[in-house]
Amino acid sequence: MSNIIECINLSHVYPEGFTAIKGINLKVKEGEIVAILGQNGSGKTTLVKHFNGLLKPTNGTVSINGIDTAKQTVFNLSSYAGYVFQNPNHQLFATSVLAELEFGPKNQGLSNDEIEARVKETADFFQLHSIINEHPLRLSFPLRKIVAIASIYAMQPSIFILDEPTTGQDHRGAEKIKKFLRKLQDDEKTVILVTHDMPLVAEIADRVIAMWSSEIIKIANPREFFFDLKTMEKTKLQQPQATALSNRLQKRVLNEGITLTVQETIKALEKVVNQQIN
Amino acid sequence: MTNEIIRIENLTYQYAHTDKPALVDINLSIKQGEYLAIIGPCGAGKTSLALSLNGIVPHMTVGEMRGKVFVEGIDTTQSQVCDLAHIVGMVFDNPEYQLSQSTVLSEMAIGLENIGVPRDKMLIRIAEALEIVGLSGLEERSPLALSGGQQQRLAIAAALSMYPKVLVLDEPTSNLDPMGKEEVFSVAAQLNRENQMTVVIVEHEVEVIADYADRVIVLDQGQIVNSGNVNEIFSDIDSLERVGIRPPQVTAIASGLEKKGYHFKNLPVTLDGADATFSDWLSRSRP
Amino acid sequence: MAGEVTIPIAYVSGTSWFHKLHPIPKLIWAIGALVLAFSTRNPLFLSCFFLFGFLLIILAGILNNYLKVLLILLPISLSFIVLQSLAPAFPRPWVTISELGPFTIYQEGIYSGISLFLRCLAAVNFASLMILTTHPSDLFTALHKIGMPHQANFMVSTSLQLIPIVQREFIIILSAQRSRGMKSTGFSAVIPSIVPVFAGTIERIQQLSLSLASRAFGSKGLKTNIREIQATFKDYASGVIGLGCTFVGAWYLIYYSDQLDWSEDALLPVWFSEVLVVGSAVIFIGTILYFWRKAKG
Repeated sequence: MSNIIECINLSHVYPEGFTAIKGINLKVKEGEIVAILGQNGSGKTTLVKHFNGLLKPTNGTVSINGIDTAKQTVFNLSSYAGYVFQNPNHQLFATSVLAELEFGPKNQGLSNDEIEARVKETADFFQLHSIINEHPLRLSFPLRKIVAIASIYAMQPSIFILDEPTTGQDHRGAEKIKKFLRKLQDDEKTVILVTHDMPLVAEIADRVIAMWSSEIIKIANPREFFFDLKTMEKTKLQQPQATALSNRLQKRVLNEGITLTVQETIKALEKVVNQQIN
Repeated sequence: MTNEIIRIENLTYQYAHTDKPALVDINLSIKQGEYLAIIGPCGAGKTSLALSLNGIVPHMTVGEMRGKVFVEGIDTTQSQVCDLAHIVGMVFDNPEYQLSQSTVLSEMAIGLENIGVPRDKMLIRIAEALEIVGLSGLEERSPLALSGGQQQRLAIAAALSMYPKVLVLDEPTSNLDPMGKEEVFSVAAQLNRENQMTVVIVEHEVEVIADYADRVIVLDQGQIVNSGNVNEIFSDIDSLERVGIRPPQVTAIASGLEKKGYHFKNLPVTLDGADATFSDWLSRSRP
Repeated sequence: MAGEVTIPIAYVSGTSWFHKLHPIPKLIWAIGALVLAFSTRNPLFLSCFFLFGFLLIILAGILNNYLKVLLILLPISLSFIVLQSLAPAFPRPWVTISELGPFTIYQEGIYSGISLFLRCLAAVNFASLMILTTHPSDLFTALHKIGMPHQANFMVSTSLQLIPIVQREFIIILSAQRSRGMKSTGFSAVIPSIVPVFAGTIERIQQLSLSLASRAFGSKGLKTNIREIQATFKDYASGVIGLGCTFVGAWYLIYYSDQLDWSEDALLPVWFSEVLVVGSAVIFIGTILYFWRKAKG
């Protein structure tokens, strides 16, 4: 599989002189779900804004699909990388969900037939048919988030950049988002997830990129990442509770290694008990 | 009988132009000094309930209210929101939307200016409140230059300077990063523990609530569907699932093992509790 | 950040005599300057007045910030020269000086344009002097003391705080919509850019009003102020002098307006007028284009 995103020695210094990110070296493979973690101000948002051209490097290079972003417009890159902003209210403006879904394809210059097909496919994927004529601002926050993601999906980018998709959601809403993320993965889309939701990361991410003070301090798979207590402490991030539990028990009783999810922990504990009995 | 500070009697509220009431027949007694958590899915009425505690519902919303809310014996329908400000402090979910002034000091001063506190007393109260939330020394900073966690602590401090007896927090950490969340939960817990502040918090982070709350009420479709201490509420997995709330992960783990035939006297709801429960269980099941 | 165009006119802290002066006399001077500037078209008076204001700005130590404001205002004010030259806001008859292609430059137009330009700059000088040396809270405290209702006061000062916030939101929304393939210019960009700004601002204001009500906003009774403004003799004196100058000056300028009307006498060489008009047009259009490109990012 090819590298769909590649950053080589990427730095970005804002006009006021503030260095938001420095020395970023990163390769994302097509079809991966990559979580970018870190406190606010660590550079996460600055980094991902380079993936669709909203920001251009002040040093180093970023390529999307092999294309150097430095000379590309956001418009051109928007067909490859779709960016869903954290606050859906920053993107929703139309009088119906239908119009929101049409917005992206219309901007891409598709024909009316193509636009209709895209909208139908998107509404199918996200199960939006029942609310297709609703005014977006009358929808609950979780639904607005989904409409915002759907409106980017309608542009059919191969990369999805999602800024905190489960923040502000209740459990049902977060489960829906997780379901759609899995579907995207099945469709071999690449997903960049900027998030604080550790259980989500544990369950669904292929790789984790941890940022601290404008640099990447660790790239690993979730298991390695959550096991690295030193990095967790430095970045002031926390393990999901299931992982923390297995971590504690590991010291005393378990020898199975840490678990990432509730299901894994149940299996691990059962295994230990069975081993003990037998 | 411990002091009751807020009593809600048969509260029903329906917003104008909606086809269902947001709150249905709520009866609730909040005791002085308790840490009460309100949980429930989106749209359950949690915010409406929180806003009824200082009169924002009904005075600043459009709709129909039946029933009563008494704050320290005062009927909220018979008084104004501004008159209850010195009893109930309110912190909202978006830190920035609560700020309007150019310095931390002037932001802190607004409430005190409104109630006519003399200038020298203002400065004392402000210094006290900033110290409690850990923002001393930042008086001349622009609130917009603070981190989300700091902004939310500022909002808490601004409420505290009014010397309220109750602090209501409506999803205060939903827009914060992990550090910010930790800061806010920590301040709320400290206020409850050390200053005997009554804390009413609307939250989704069940694992944190399990660590701090004295009592939890579960709201769904405007009604209180369950109420009890953290053990009672979070170990009733089926009830939580029906309402669409996830239990703490450790509780789900224990419940999952129970479904496979193992037995626990009590389902743990906190990490420490789970550590103890499972260590004990594993060592007991050694032949 | 790409696309950031902010308005630099805001309080600059300092310790000059002007900074220490009470806000009310400063307000009187600013309004008085406006009155005087618009009481006459005489270029000599206006130039002197402009220079006087400029001198005060240097004395107040706010030259750098003032120059930033001027940088934006100067090109736009130059547009007055262009527009007035071609279509004077002056009683006819007009004297033609020159013809450049389809455009005719009139004597009265040049006079009117230059005077409007100078009026604008002179007024801006004194307005900047006031705004850059007065902390908004002090101004509102002072207004409150002289009887302006607390709530009205507060609403205006809060609205001022909102301006940079709304600007910032607008930039975010533009980025968000550009990420959906929206082209930054053209009619189709208006609604997707503006609607979220409005919706967000309204939501923000609603939330703010709840937060303020929860902090007793709207209480009846005595209000206090954390900022202290004392009025000293020199403040009263400045205020009185300001009022005095305004009345006397305005009376003089209007009474002698005929003598001060130099529209017929101030005959500038033709080439100068042409250069002035063309140059102003170039600078004006160039500035617009520059900010347009900068906003596009």
